[in-house]
Amino acid sequence: MILDFQIIASVFPSLLSATKVTLALSLCILVLGVMIGIPLGLLNAGRNRVLRWLSEIYILIFRGTPPMVQLFVVYFGLSQFEAVRESFLWPVLRSAYWCAVIALGLNSGAYVARMFAGALRAIPAGQIEAAKALGLGPVASFLTIRAPLAFRTMLPAYCNEVIMTVKVTALASTITVQELMGRARSEVNDTYAPYEVLLSTAAIYLALIYGLSWFFAWLEQHLNPTRTGRSADKTPATLSIRQEG
Amino acid sequence: MGGVSFDLGLGGFGPQLLVGAGLSLKLWLASLVLGTCFGLLAALSRLSGSRILRRLAGLYINVTRGIPELLVVFLLYYCGSATLSWIVGEYVELSAFAAGTFALALVFGAYTAEIFRGGILAVPHGQTEASQALGLGKLGAFALVILPQAWRHALPSFGSQCIILVKQTSLVSVIGLEELMRKGKIAVNSTNEPFIFYMTIGAIYLAITLILTVVLRLAERRASRSLAGA
Amino acid sequence: MPSNEAQTTAAPEAIISVRTLNKFYGQFQVLHDIDLEVRPGERIVICGPSGSGKSSLIRCLNGLEDHSSGEVLIDGKKLDVHARDIKRLRAEVGMCFQQFNLFPHLTVLENCTLSPRWVRKQSRKDADAIAMHLLGKVHIAEHAHKYPSQLSGGQQQRVAIARALCMKPKAMLFDEPTSALDPEMISEVLETMMELAAEGMTMVCVTHEMGFARKVADRIVFMERGKILANEQPEQFFGRQTNSRIREFLGEMHG
Repeated sequence: MILDFQIIASVFPSLLSATKVTLALSLCILVLGVMIGIPLGLLNAGRNRVLRWLSEIYILIFRGTPPMVQLFVVYFGLSQFEAVRESFLWPVLRSAYWCAVIALGLNSGAYVARMFAGALRAIPAGQIEAAKALGLGPVASFLTIRAPLAFRTMLPAYCNEVIMTVKVTALASTITVQELMGRARSEVNDTYAPYEVLLSTAAIYLALIYGLSWFFAWLEQHLNPTRTGRSADKTPATLSIRQEG
Repeated sequence: MGGVSFDLGLGGFGPQLLVGAGLSLKLWLASLVLGTCFGLLAALSRLSGSRILRRLAGLYINVTRGIPELLVVFLLYYCGSATLSWIVGEYVELSAFAAGTFALALVFGAYTAEIFRGGILAVPHGQTEASQALGLGKLGAFALVILPQAWRHALPSFGSQCIILVKQTSLVSVIGLEELMRKGKIAVNSTNEPFIFYMTIGAIYLAITLILTVVLRLAERRASRSLAGA
Repeated sequence: MPSNEAQTTAAPEAIISVRTLNKFYGQFQVLHDIDLEVRPGERIVICGPSGSGKSSLIRCLNGLEDHSSGEVLIDGKKLDVHARDIKRLRAEVGMCFQQFNLFPHLTVLENCTLSPRWVRKQSRKDADAIAMHLLGKVHIAEHAHKYPSQLSGGQQQRVAIARALCMKPKAMLFDEPTSALDPEMISEVLETMMELAAEGMTMVCVTHEMGFARKVADRIVFMERGKILANEQPEQFFGRQTNSRIREFLGEMHG
C-alpha cells in the first residue's frame, strides 16, 4: 500500500487553489456570523423578556439542527418557491457559494450570540455600576466597558469558533461548492486514488488548523497578561480545539 | 393512505423518514459506545507513564480534531475497506454503517478523551491513596472509586458531546447510509418538495436534541446532588 | 427618636436633599422615611450595624438604586432613576465602592480620563492633564500607565478616588471604601480622604472607621433597620450619647 506520489503532486495544485475558496468562504461566514451574533447576543443578555426569548429560540434552532440540514433548506429548499426565483435575491440564492455563506453564517451567528451573551453576563456588576456612577450612559458604557470586556472574555471561545468554521466549510461540498472538500471529492472521482487525494486533503486541513491554533495561542498570550488582570493560563499540552459549546 | 399516516404534505414519505430516524439513532448509539471506549483509552494513555502512549494518544486527538468530520467519514469509507483487506489479507467489505460508526466514534473519542482526562484529574489524589490504603488494587481503585467520581465531573461536557453526535450522524448520508438525511434526499428526488422535507427533518433533529438536552440536565442535577456531599 | 439637631427645612443651598425616602425590596422595607440634608462642604458619616440600610441609602443618592417613594434632590434637581438625563445627575456626584471597581482593561490614566472624555467631551490633552494632576494629589501619579491588576488594594482605591474626582463632582459618596482592604492599606486611603475633606469637598461616607469619623465628620448619622436613629455632631454622638442602642454599638466598635 504505497502512496503514489505522482498523483499527489498532480492533485496538490488543484487542492491548494480550492483551499482559497475554503478560506474565502470561512471569512464570509465569520463576518456574517459576527454581524448577526453580536446584536443577537445583546438581546439575549438584555432586559427585554420577549426579545430574550426570541433570540433564545433562534439560538436553539440553529444549534439544535445539523448544519447540513440548514444548508439544504437554504440551497434546495428556497429555490423550490417561485416567489424566490422571481425575486431580486435570486442571483444570490441560486449560487451554492452564497447559500453556504447564508446558511453557515446564520449558524455561526447562533454560536457567537451565545458566547457574547455569556461574556456580557460575566462582567462583574461592580464594573457597570462604576460606569454608571461616573455618568456614562448605556451606549457609552457598552462601547467603552461592556463590549471590550466581553470581547476579551470571549476570545478563546471565538478562536475556537473560527476553527470550527473552517472545518464546517467542508459541508458546503454537499451542495456542490468547490471548496477544498468539494474539490477533493471531484479528484477522488477523477483519479480513482482516494488515499492520495484524501490524505493530501487531510494534510492541508491540518496545516490550516494547526496554523490557526498556534496563531490564536500566541494572540491570547499577547493580549491576556495585563489587560484583564488574569494571570496567563498555562497552555494545555495538546492544542485546545474544543468542539461546539 | 390509510393507517397511521404522517401525512403533513409529505406525500407518504413520513414513515420513511421515521425509519431513517431510527437508523440515525442506531448509528448514534453505536458510535457513542465505540467512541466512549476510544475516548477512555485515549484519556488513560494521555495520563499514563509511558511517553510513547502519551504521544500516540496526543497524535490521535490532535489529528482527528484538526480535520473536518466529513473528511474522516470519507477517509474511512474510501480507504477503510482497502486498508482492512490489506490487513486481514482477504477482501473485506466495509458497509456504510460500519464506516460511519467507526468514523464518528473516532471523532467522538478524540473530543471525549480530553473530557475524561479532565474528569479524572479533577478527582482529588487523596481518593487514590485512600483506596490503596484499603487494599484495593490499581484496577479496583480505578473502577470503583476514581471512575464514578470522574464521571460526575465529566458528565456535562460528555452530555454535550452526545448531543453534538446526533447532529453528526447526518454526515453519514454522504456515503449512502439510508439514515434520516438520506431518506430526505430520496423523498425530495421523488416529490420535488425540498423545503417541507428538510424543514421536517430539521424539526426531527431539533426534537431529538431538545429531549437529550432535558435528559442531560436531569442527569446533571442528580449527579451534582451526590457531588455536593463530597 | 431621631435627634433633630441638624434637621432643617429644605435649605436651598443643600447639595443633596433626601425627603421622606422609602425603599422596598418586594415586601421588605429597607428604608423608612429617611430625611437628610447635606450642605456644601459638610462631611457626613453614616454608620450602623449591617443590614441597617446604609448601603442602600447611599446608593439611592446617585441613583444606582431606585427608591419607592419620597425624593432625592441633587443641587435642587430631582433624581429620577428612569429619566433619560439620569446620567447627567450621576456625573455631578462621585462614588467610591468597596470593591474599587476599576476597569481592568484600561490603565490607571485611562480609567480616570474615560468619563471626562466621553461625557464632558474633554480633549485627550485636557483630560490627561487633569487626571495626572489628580493622580498626583492622591500620590499615585507614578503608576499612571499601569493596569489595576498591578496595583495593591490601597493603591487601587486611591485611583478610584482620583477617577471620581476627575469628573469635578459636587459631592463624593463613599460606600465602605476601606472594608475590602488589608489593615496596612486602610490608613493610606483614610489619609487621602482626610486630605480631600480638608480641601472642602462635600462627602457622605458609609464606614466602620470610627476614628476617621471622629476626626473628620461634621455629622454622624446612625442607622438601624432602615431608620435614622441619630443625626448628630461627633461630640454629641461619641461623648454625650443618650441612645442605649447606639451606646451598645459604639461599645462593640470600641468607639
